[in-house]
Amino acid sequence: MRPLILLSTFLFASLALHAQQTFTVSGYVNDSTSGESLIGASIFIKEIQKGVSTNTYGYYSVTLAEGSYTFITRYIGYAQQDRSIDLRADVKMNIDLKPTVTEMKQVEVVKEKRKSNTESTDMGRIDVDVQKLNTLPALLGEVDILKVIQFLPGVKSGGEGNSGFYVRGGGPDQNLILLDEATVYNASHLFGFFSVFNADAIKNLELIKGGMPANYGGRTSSVLDITMKEGNDNKFHGQGGIGLISSRFTLEGPIVNNKSSFIVSGRRTYIDVLTKPFLKDNPNFGGTGYYFYDLNAKANYRISDKDRLYLRGYFGRDVFDFGSSDPGDPKFRIPWGNTTVAARWNHVFGPKLFVNTTATFSDYQFEFNGEQSDFAFKLFSGIKDYGLKVDLSQYPNVRHSLKYGGQYIYHVYTPSTVSVSSGATDFNIDEPSKLKAHETAVYFLDEFDVTDRIRLNGGVRFTSFAQVGTFREYVLNAAGDPTGDLINYDRGQTVKTYYGLEPRLSARYRINDKSSFKASFNRNLQYVHLASFSSIALPTDVWVPSGKNVKPQVGVQYAAGYFRDFKERVFEASVEVYYKDMQNLIEYKEGAQPQDNGNTNYDANLVFGNGYSYGAEFFVKKRTGRLNGWVGYTWSKTMRKFPDLNKGEEFPSRWDRTHDVSIVASYEYNKRWTFGATFTYQTGQAVTLPVNRYWIEGRLVSEYTERNGYRMAPYHRLDVAATLLNKETKKVKDPVTGEVKEVPRKYRSSWTFGVYNAYNRKNPYFIYFANDGNLATGDFKLTAKQVSLFSILPSITWNFKF
Amino acid sequence: MHKYVLLLASALVLISCEKEVEVDLPETEPKLVVEGTIEQGQPPIVILTRTQSYFAPTDLNSIAGIFVHGAVITVSDGTTTVELDSISSEGLTEEQIQYAAELTGLDPTLLSNSGIVIYSLLDASLVGEVGKIYTLNVAGDGKTCSAVTKIPNVVPWDSTWWRLAEQDADDDSSGYIWGRLTDPDTMGNGYRHYARRFYSADPDFIEDSRFISPLGTTFNDKYLNGLTVDLFAVRGRSPYTDNSEDETAGFFLRGDSVVMKLVSMGLKEADFYMTYDNNVGSQGDIFSTPANVRGNIDGGLGIWAGWAAYYDTLVCQ
Repeated sequence: MRPLILLSTFLFASLALHAQQTFTVSGYVNDSTSGESLIGASIFIKEIQKGVSTNTYGYYSVTLAEGSYTFITRYIGYAQQDRSIDLRADVKMNIDLKPTVTEMKQVEVVKEKRKSNTESTDMGRIDVDVQKLNTLPALLGEVDILKVIQFLPGVKSGGEGNSGFYVRGGGPDQNLILLDEATVYNASHLFGFFSVFNADAIKNLELIKGGMPANYGGRTSSVLDITMKEGNDNKFHGQGGIGLISSRFTLEGPIVNNKSSFIVSGRRTYIDVLTKPFLKDNPNFGGTGYYFYDLNAKANYRISDKDRLYLRGYFGRDVFDFGSSDPGDPKFRIPWGNTTVAARWNHVFGPKLFVNTTATFSDYQFEFNGEQSDFAFKLFSGIKDYGLKVDLSQYPNVRHSLKYGGQYIYHVYTPSTVSVSSGATDFNIDEPSKLKAHETAVYFLDEFDVTDRIRLNGGVRFTSFAQVGTFREYVLNAAGDPTGDLINYDRGQTVKTYYGLEPRLSARYRINDKSSFKASFNRNLQYVHLASFSSIALPTDVWVPSGKNVKPQVGVQYAAGYFRDFKERVFEASVEVYYKDMQNLIEYKEGAQPQDNGNTNYDANLVFGNGYSYGAEFFVKKRTGRLNGWVGYTWSKTMRKFPDLNKGEEFPSRWDRTHDVSIVASYEYNKRWTFGATFTYQTGQAVTLPVNRYWIEGRLVSEYTERNGYRMAPYHRLDVAATLLNKETKKVKDPVTGEVKEVPRKYRSSWTFGVYNAYNRKNPYFIYFANDGNLATGDFKLTAKQVSLFSILPSITWNFKF
Repeated sequence: MHKYVLLLASALVLISCEKEVEVDLPETEPKLVVEGTIEQGQPPIVILTRTQSYFAPTDLNSIAGIFVHGAVITVSDGTTTVELDSISSEGLTEEQIQYAAELTGLDPTLLSNSGIVIYSLLDASLVGEVGKIYTLNVAGDGKTCSAVTKIPNVVPWDSTWWRLAEQDADDDSSGYIWGRLTDPDTMGNGYRHYARRFYSADPDFIEDSRFISPLGTTFNDKYLNGLTVDLFAVRGRSPYTDNSEDETAGFFLRGDSVVMKLVSMGLKEADFYMTYDNNVGSQGDIFSTPANVRGNIDGGLGIWAGWAAYYDTLVCQ
């Protein structure tokens, strides 16, 4: 409680100091051509040498004493705008920024917002400008925002080609992925090779890996906050691309000019369409196909200067069919995917108070339908979230920026529900209880300039989680087997409640104009958990809520860093160190199988433990110029300790990588050609390999001793890309005068040529053991085989825009 | 399900490749491994071996070297305790080898090529009885281990039959064997089924030397308590033999004569075979978490299983 008291004292003390006559300037910062609001645009007030920045909705507010001021508004890729204001009353001022003429002029992939690197209290916080990603190499030419995130220090990838990410030793379930404020539970397509986010529809992406402010919660590792484009409210525009495995198209335009706009964006893969002619006559794979698609749609309406409404939907599905043309063979159909809907209302209560109210709905479903001969097998699992959230931003004066609000989510989990039949016989599998829970949170935070040198971002979040009926609990005996007795909870009856306080504090001490020191502390609670049967993230992984035996995960992180700018902010550099303690992590029991989950409690096969992670992250970035990009290096250690795993001894986590180097570079050769390259090096993945063998029924059995006790070979890879943009202008002959003129093109198109894994490194994906020969005659052989997924892979993508 | 996910991944990622690698695994102290069964009407049979480094040599000497000689093994039914006889494969006649192969499930060629040892009773001083509890005590290699098991009631096949697999419209010969069983009304039954062919229409056929159970044939009554269910059996093969020529692998052919063995056992014993099937079936694939076999041997690895077996002979037609 003490930090809160301290914070309020600071707040009121500083409010009292500012009792003189003040006025407020507020409004939105927008793109002058499309009307898109600009997130994180910086507004610097020259006379007081202080700045503010726009919030997630493009809104800003600053309160100043009566007087004359110059407002300098800046945003990467836009022309700076200076405005003089004679402040005698509250002013509403919307600022429209003009994009700089050449779109490709400044290819800065990771931009930083909210003042400079050294100015803000942000630690481990990075924004990615999605529109600039097209110039970087991508696997099979599919631009993927999650894969770019993996190049940042402190962020690890889930493995070759995997879009999963692991932040500072945390698991994949510890990342809060928000798409316009609605939770996305499974962010991957095609078993993790591609993420569900279609870059064409996305405006902004922000990753917070440490020092999570109090307005975010529910996960212990990181926040990935993705904002979709709103759509151009002046003109219709289209853009799209044709790639090797998928095509995409986006259309945006006004519904009512300057008042209302929409955007729709779709993407579909066509591996199935391309392979069908070849597979049709193949007796083994005649019924096999795979595709995924996703659809994004968003509309907004500006009711007045004070009110704005948004409606947004995402729908994506993966469908995998497997089967042959013969009736006796097994057949499968596995569809899965996310649906999220969000409705948002922005309201400006007064120049100093901005309110955003969001209603969200998230749905994730996984289904498996299989049959062979007379057997039929069906599995279903899913989560539904219904949420309501109110966030208030208040700007009492130039020194303070307050945020407070509350959130409520009603979760409905359907754990794996299985039905099996053999001929006319249905197996006795109880339909598992749906797990229902109420999650609530209230928070308060203040970003506050204590002195010119010291800025604090302090906040606290109070959260609670209650699992409620209807729920059927199996009574278990000492061995953990159901006794046959049940405890039934009525509708709404509480099964178990948890609650807790989550203090968050980050502070910046500015050493001078060029350098600062920052430190942060946070405690986060997480009430939902992901349990995985395999070594990689699969759609079969099941989300489970906290309940009688599953306690909330607790993450406590301490971080400190030194930040410095060089050469007029052309270069930025930082060193951050962190220590993270994680409690109540979950894993499946050794050897647990998905079929063990039936006819018992949803948590019966789980085991619980703790973990920790510490590391140092080094980051140097060149922000501007024709050549820009960054170099990151992380040294870290991530361990787990579970009483019921690895004989109770500590073991390295699957995503423990001692060394991790990333280099990202982009070079604009001329107005038409841009080159990009990325390089990554990581310590080999920790895997569990058998140490001994023995024989049962004449077959070889593996004995595993140490969990994750073996390291595969290091992973390293270089990808390169070249982008060719068509000419900006074309020659047109005037039909009357016959004069040839250069006019700007309406359609712009570009070719991206990429090479993935340019030097053809055989990176390990997994190791398995193969055998060959006859045991009885003595020519039996055992070998370890390393499987590599992607060798050198060229790609070509054509993108267009009009 | 994981194997289909694997199949998908391999189908999609045709560009993947693999290479042989050296892995440097730590050395650990060998452990005792028990493979022991006691079936109703049969003497106990115990194969006692020790673990080896995963990449230890695989020549016959090395394989023969894992068998523990000179162990003292006793089996008790609560009233009678007997010490098992050590029977060496050295010096056995071909007929005895055949019998030993049948009894132990070991390959007859392996038995005759290397001097190995098994433990059983040469007289019938103790044979398995339904409902009885048997305690095993082992002292060998300077270590001891023990286990307890029970022979449950016999659950018979209600019926067994053969049906065409219909994988190819022109194939009028390949099929699977089906079996129907009725699970008793009390929870706690485990099953594993085996098959052995005595005659086949296949011209290259060599009589199965023993009962073979393909992976994935063990189950319990968790989801089918008291139900009558139909199961189908694919034909298993003797592991690690040179059977690349076996074109009808997996199928029972029209005209085959087969004995279908249904073994009933306790849940712990069935759990051993289920985890064994998973362990053997997933040697390092990324879609499953590597897991040890869960046995019931205190102080060692492996299984001591009371088996209630039921045999049914059928001609595939």
